Amino acid sequence: MATTTATPGSSAYERSWVLDWLTTVDHKKIGVLYIANSFLFFFFAGLLALVIRSELAVPGLQFVDESTFNQSFTMHGTLMIFLFIVPIFSGFANYVVPLMIGAPDMAFPRINALSFWMLPLGGGLIIAGYLVGGAAAGGWTGYNPLTQERFSPGDGTDLWIMGLAVVGTASILGSVNFLTTIFKMRAPGMTLFRMPIFVWTVLVTQALILLATPVITAALIALFIDRNYGGSFFDPSVGGDPILWQHLFWFFGHPEVYIVILPALGVVSEILPVFSRKPLFGYAAFVWATIGIGLLSFSVWAHHMFTTGVVFLPFFTFMTALIAIPTGVKFFNWLATLWRGSLVFTSAMLFALGIVSMFLIGGISGVMLASAPVDFHLQDTYFVVAHLHYVFFGGAAMGVFASAYYWFPKMSGKLLNETLGRIHFALLFIGFNMTFFVQHMLGIQGMPRRIADYAPDAGWTEMNLISTAGAFLIAVSMVPFVINVVTSLMNGRKAGDDPWEGNTLEWATTSPPPTYNFDSLPPIRSERPVFDLRHRDEVPHP
Amino acid sequence: MSAQAPVRREGGFPIPLVGMLLFISSEVMFFGGLFAAYFNARASFEGEWGPPPGAPELEILPIALPITLILLTSSLTMHLGVRAISRGNSSRLRLWLVVTLGLGILFLIGQAYDYTQIGFGISDGVFGTVFYTLTGFHGAHVFGGVVGLTILTARAGAGQFSARNHVAVEAVSYYWHFVDVVWIALFTTLYFLR
Amino acid sequence: MKQLIRLAAVALPALLLSGCIFPPEPKTTEAEEVRILFLVIFALGAIVFVGVEGFLLYAVVRYRRRDDRLPVQHHGNTKVEIVWTVIPTIIVLILFVTSMFTLGSISARSDDATVIEVEGFQWQWTFRYDTGYEVTGTPGDPPAMVVPAGVPVRLVLRSDDVIHSFYVPAFLVKKDVVPFGQGQAPNELEFTITEPGIYRGQCAEFCGDLHADMTFTVDARSEAEYAAWLEDPGEPTPTAQPSIPEDTFVVELSAENIAFSTHELTVPANEPFVIRFTNLESVQHNVSVYDNEETLFEGQAVTGPDATIDYLIQPLDAGEYTFICDFHPIAEMTGTLTAE
Repeated sequence: MATTTATPGSSAYERSWVLDWLTTVDHKKIGVLYIANSFLFFFFAGLLALVIRSELAVPGLQFVDESTFNQSFTMHGTLMIFLFIVPIFSGFANYVVPLMIGAPDMAFPRINALSFWMLPLGGGLIIAGYLVGGAAAGGWTGYNPLTQERFSPGDGTDLWIMGLAVVGTASILGSVNFLTTIFKMRAPGMTLFRMPIFVWTVLVTQALILLATPVITAALIALFIDRNYGGSFFDPSVGGDPILWQHLFWFFGHPEVYIVILPALGVVSEILPVFSRKPLFGYAAFVWATIGIGLLSFSVWAHHMFTTGVVFLPFFTFMTALIAIPTGVKFFNWLATLWRGSLVFTSAMLFALGIVSMFLIGGISGVMLASAPVDFHLQDTYFVVAHLHYVFFGGAAMGVFASAYYWFPKMSGKLLNETLGRIHFALLFIGFNMTFFVQHMLGIQGMPRRIADYAPDAGWTEMNLISTAGAFLIAVSMVPFVINVVTSLMNGRKAGDDPWEGNTLEWATTSPPPTYNFDSLPPIRSERPVFDLRHRDEVPHP
Repeated sequence: MSAQAPVRREGGFPIPLVGMLLFISSEVMFFGGLFAAYFNARASFEGEWGPPPGAPELEILPIALPITLILLTSSLTMHLGVRAISRGNSSRLRLWLVVTLGLGILFLIGQAYDYTQIGFGISDGVFGTVFYTLTGFHGAHVFGGVVGLTILTARAGAGQFSARNHVAVEAVSYYWHFVDVVWIALFTTLYFLR
Repeated sequence: MKQLIRLAAVALPALLLSGCIFPPEPKTTEAEEVRILFLVIFALGAIVFVGVEGFLLYAVVRYRRRDDRLPVQHHGNTKVEIVWTVIPTIIVLILFVTSMFTLGSISARSDDATVIEVEGFQWQWTFRYDTGYEVTGTPGDPPAMVVPAGVPVRLVLRSDDVIHSFYVPAFLVKKDVVPFGQGQAPNELEFTITEPGIYRGQCAEFCGDLHADMTFTVDARSEAEYAAWLEDPGEPTPTAQPSIPEDTFVVELSAENIAFSTHELTVPANEPFVIRFTNLESVQHNVSVYDNEETLFEGQAVTGPDATIDYLIQPLDAGEYTFICDFHPIAEMTGTLTAE
């Protein structure tokens, strides 16, 4: 290949780098924009978490009043879910999926840019509630009739509805783009069952987004009509049905859980094989388990509604418990991948192992909640808060950091500092368990969620104090991460094309990759084309 | 190393059509959510289901049925347009696009007129709410289709389509047929099965 | 030594907290069943937990990278994979069957239960007995529900505003208090308390600003004591309205959308005055006057729409006082009363 040296300012198309980033349609730059934007919201929603935990550290109202507290947990949940954890995986997927399938870009690059830019718009609308007399305060689940005009007057709730509708539309457009890319843009030889497992999890995730998000959009619009045009969808005083909201919300909301967690499980399934130097054990079973979870997720929504007294308990208990089977298969596959491997404990690997051990707890507590009678006790207590954080934080957010450590060298061309990475992991792991493990116990002892205060003699004080201390430790653990990213960007060691001895195609190009990704592709004869290339003399392909 | 150049896999179903079909499946779920709300409201409603007391019964004949026929016809004319361009007849395509566009606008006018005649509003009880929400969102989709058709007509006027290159026409036609199917479901549910 | 300290650091809090991993001592027959089910499922979960985490730790220690040799490339093994699909399937079936047994037995209804109507509202509870006696709490003064122990009690759970949830942790079963539309029967919750005692409860479904203040107690008494109490529950005394002299100073105040019409009232000092309070909505409110923590006057509750009551208040020294709705002690229902 001939080498050409671009002289700065020589090109007729030279633009400022700001304009370049603002108008880019390159999937890699859009991916980075997604990630940066998501971390901004993560920071803000994390501060809100500290507000919540500070207030709950000891009995009594010390820092905020009830209304601020309610706004805090509503905004914390909404922003963490809709503007951090889901879009950040869209960001990583945006960056690596075209690379992993050997494509030059996404199928619809301009729609890709559009669906990104709708996110800060939607997020801004949601946060704007703080400027107009109070943000939404009905919980991220927005239950009716509490979110009706007569119980939640003020524009904060309307902005919340509008913002979520914008974010939802963005993710629908994004999912059309991802699915088309995966179906139509794979390189020659890249059959569906040779796709990297992360691409498979993105495929299932995006299918869930495509089919579940419109339902919540419809529900949000109906709520908006109720609040602003005298509609009567959800308000019982004018003939509506408050339970309908819960059905529509959770019909979206439960698939949403898998939208959040599946990409993280995909990342684990990329990292474990690379750093065990073995293939993923039972690749096909893993794919089918992912598809199975995706399908089942549409039949379990009412397990969030066991205590409403209006859902058919045996069916939803059974379907929910069934999800344990494909999930169990995944765990066994991961363990078998480690078995007799040759394990290297990079930061990415530590986070991946952390996910396996933490998501396990989230899975077990989920199975406990699936049992209707046990749920009668635990529903709406801190046990549920603990459970969802073991899935969303111990699973998905840890997956964000695993992805960051794993793909940072590809994105920036620089290596992250491994020592700082290990410190980050250790602090986060301890802080996370301090914060959330005791919340299981608080829930089992009967502390309801979403309360701003509790009685001094309820026996919950010590555990709340531990939990709050843990939350601050989590905040501290972000310091080495930020330092690591900044210093590595400025003067990190060069990463080279393939620092980890990776398996998948993104490691077959430069770091960072050129605009259209590849000059040439290796032959694709398995789900590990780069591994096959590296060991083409040693391992005869089956 | 047997390197190969990265190439896009063309052939099979064109990329824009795959995108449109995926988008339509998402729209199906959107209307599915609204229909779920409709049937839930109807199932839990006490008393006679229909326009609120005092408002006249929903009439099928003067407006609803004609605009239904208009929309059905527009699906046919859209299809004829696609057929024409796939045989390379771009002047025929322009004709059918203009006709389809006209029928779409006529439908919207008819529906707006219907709104002024039915004698109840969105805040008049559960039926009023679901009626206007369903028909209103369908109308918004028809409007979206009209915008798409306008762009197509302009592009067809500029001679941008040919027998080999008319995937945009096909994509809009999918969407237009979908909007038509939704209306059939709506019309049947709201005016007949009630 | 270092390891010992490390061990202690882990073990000590674990020991302290280990009691909290199990549900509270069950106090109803239903709670006993739920607790057993909890323990069964917990045990299954614990086995899975120890197995998986144990293997994980083992693998981390045992299979550390020691040399550059490439490990054997296992791609899968159908037999093994079938076995480990069957294992979770069995666990799931055990869980489902045991859950259904428990569900069946705790859902049983008896014909001769003591029925109490529970109404949840923003933000407290009213308990109504079929004798006509009722008690309503305020966020500052939560109510007690006196019930018989040893016999079935059935609660009829109603709400007129938002969704609440009736939850007593020691009963291990909660039920949402849903404002269903007309024609739909309210939720019911039935339990048989096994021993007399006082049990704390609170609303478990987020219901707005003072959700945390929707606490109450269940006061379970022996059947005989309960019967005696029901005879004479010590009526929450509706004090006789003192007659109001003609020329008394009157200030007007009204409430709508859970907010007072004004947050500033001015009255003459050192003479009796009347707050003419109009409640414009069907939510109960009152007006009470406080001097810091001290209660100077506690107004009787009124429920609208459009109900007016005259509160006659005894002379106050010149100064600033607080007036407040005891049911909704939020900023919107708090104001300053100036006597001058």
